[in-house]
Amino acid sequence: MTTETGTVRGVRPAGNGHGDGNRTAAGAPRGRGPLGRMREKRKQAAWGYLFVAPAILLFALMGVYTIVYGFSLSFAQWNGFWPEWHWKGFKNYTDLLGGSPTYWPIVKKAATNTLWVVIGVPLLTVLVAFPLALVLNSVKRFQGILRSIYFLPYVTTGIAVYFAWNYILEPGGAINLLLKTVGLGSLQEPQGWLGNPHTALPTMIVVMVWSAVPVAMLLYLTGLQSLDGSLLEAAQIDGAGWLRSTTTIVWPLMKPITVVVILLNVRDSLQGFQSFLIMTNGGPGDSTSVLGLETYRLAFLNELSPTLGLASALGWLLFIAALVVAFINQRAMRRMG
Amino acid sequence: MSSQALSTPRRTGAPGRTAHASRTGSRRSVGRIVVGVVLAAYAAVSVYPFLWMVSAAFKTNAEVQEGGHLIPHHPTLQTFSDTWNKLDFFDYFLNSVKVTVLTTVLVVVIYSAASYAFSVLDFPGKKWLYRLFLVLLFVPGVVTLLPIVLLESKLDILGTHWGLILPFVNGSAPLAILMLTSSFNSVPTELREAARMDGAGELRIFSRIYLPLARPAIVTIALLTAIPTWNEYQLTRISLNDPHSYTLPIALQTMQSSNVVQYNSLMAAALIMVVPVIALFLCAQRYFVNGLMGAVKG
Repeated sequence: MTTETGTVRGVRPAGNGHGDGNRTAAGAPRGRGPLGRMREKRKQAAWGYLFVAPAILLFALMGVYTIVYGFSLSFAQWNGFWPEWHWKGFKNYTDLLGGSPTYWPIVKKAATNTLWVVIGVPLLTVLVAFPLALVLNSVKRFQGILRSIYFLPYVTTGIAVYFAWNYILEPGGAINLLLKTVGLGSLQEPQGWLGNPHTALPTMIVVMVWSAVPVAMLLYLTGLQSLDGSLLEAAQIDGAGWLRSTTTIVWPLMKPITVVVILLNVRDSLQGFQSFLIMTNGGPGDSTSVLGLETYRLAFLNELSPTLGLASALGWLLFIAALVVAFINQRAMRRMG
Repeated sequence: MSSQALSTPRRTGAPGRTAHASRTGSRRSVGRIVVGVVLAAYAAVSVYPFLWMVSAAFKTNAEVQEGGHLIPHHPTLQTFSDTWNKLDFFDYFLNSVKVTVLTTVLVVVIYSAASYAFSVLDFPGKKWLYRLFLVLLFVPGVVTLLPIVLLESKLDILGTHWGLILPFVNGSAPLAILMLTSSFNSVPTELREAARMDGAGELRIFSRIYLPLARPAIVTIALLTAIPTWNEYQLTRISLNDPHSYTLPIALQTMQSSNVVQYNSLMAAALIMVVPVIALFLCAQRYFVNGLMGAVKG
């Protein structure tokens, strides 16, 4: 969630910090010669390395090895038990991208499902979170309490809540009960919402949106509360109604936040699979298989088949997709100023 | 909901505008009802799964199976205490607390220091290091899962709690550095320069000026580390073998995979897992919201 939060300002912090540092280096050693300034600079660099040292050391221990290992594995065939890897070059990648009659159909189906998730979750999250933030921003009383209630889904998202969702989506579960109570009994799902191949994926998307709305809503609310009120008053004096000033003034001003919300959700929709693993495990059939889940399955649920390299390659393809989205996102943001 | 939604409503009490005023008035009260309904509806959507979680936790298994009602007819604490006692929940709970607390503390300590360097100090290679940590944000966790397990078996920490904590801390690096660096960037430069004039060293400036001023961001990053760590499931499931070292998510998982799912026990266990996180959030909420806001406003 905060990923994005960081990104909002994260677009420039590196440069920012740099500027600060320079200013200090030039400003602090007043009355000293170039020699003193240089010593000051060296001292600062030493402190800098000292402060980042723990982070770098941990990364060297846990990060470098795992990333390099995972990357080279993506060019190999291995089942985890063979004493040696069989090198395959780019074959894992080409197999996944259409070359293999075994894996291509799996990947194709999972990619289609993932595409729905990647489009559906961010879009619906914005469609729910933005109006919700607008409405919440308009009330003064209970705002704090409501904000906490709306934030609950994020706070508890994880295995416990996925089990709770499973429970209420069961054939005899609360959703079917609710539909019957309000007289919409014909809409019930006799096999349960996750048991019917046609409703399983949309249901999962709704659950993911439910988890994603809190952060998006809070970010929009933050944006709304820092809006300059005089702009809106001017528009209202000119006769613009609520709808008009919202669509022509507020919405455009919230664009940077929208971009951030979309980026974060695209990233999670591309790579996340915990909810799928726990709630549907891809089923029924392959109706909820997504790329993240297939990666996990190829790596860990494939017994002795030598598919660890394939899994790794699929993971790196997801990484590239996420980077591309991030890049487009940053470009779009820059264009919007 | 119209005008009210966007600006503070202003009383238009001037004579000669009464007709207009009362019309806006009635429209306003209709608006208020709409606003109220929308807010209440989404509040219901937000809490719906928890209500059923609580409901099932206070039912017997027979009552869960007959289904269909939110308020238990014969509310019982038996499910709760059975789940807690029979399944060694206290041990799992302590394991979870240990892993979560150590991870969170390490994240805050290590990455607030690193972020101070990225934000304030100048050293060769800083830009590249910073970018490296940003890119790590996009590495899917699943590609490093297996290498972590192999590495840890070489280091002989596989299956221990440290074997969870170290990768969790490292995995939190990008987000923590992003947020804390932006927060430190908004501390006025003058403060630091004044402190330097007075002869304060970096360690002192960091701990006496930067850390206190960034408290909202630090609480935020602590929560954003603690919550996912508390819920973490994949690495934990792959790396832990000894039931004594299990954390709550794994305990829940084993309950679900036993042949018949007893939803009342499962929901009681889920509630045990969820309640501490809710309590933590409510305690830290004020800082949390401010921390997010600070990060957005820049």
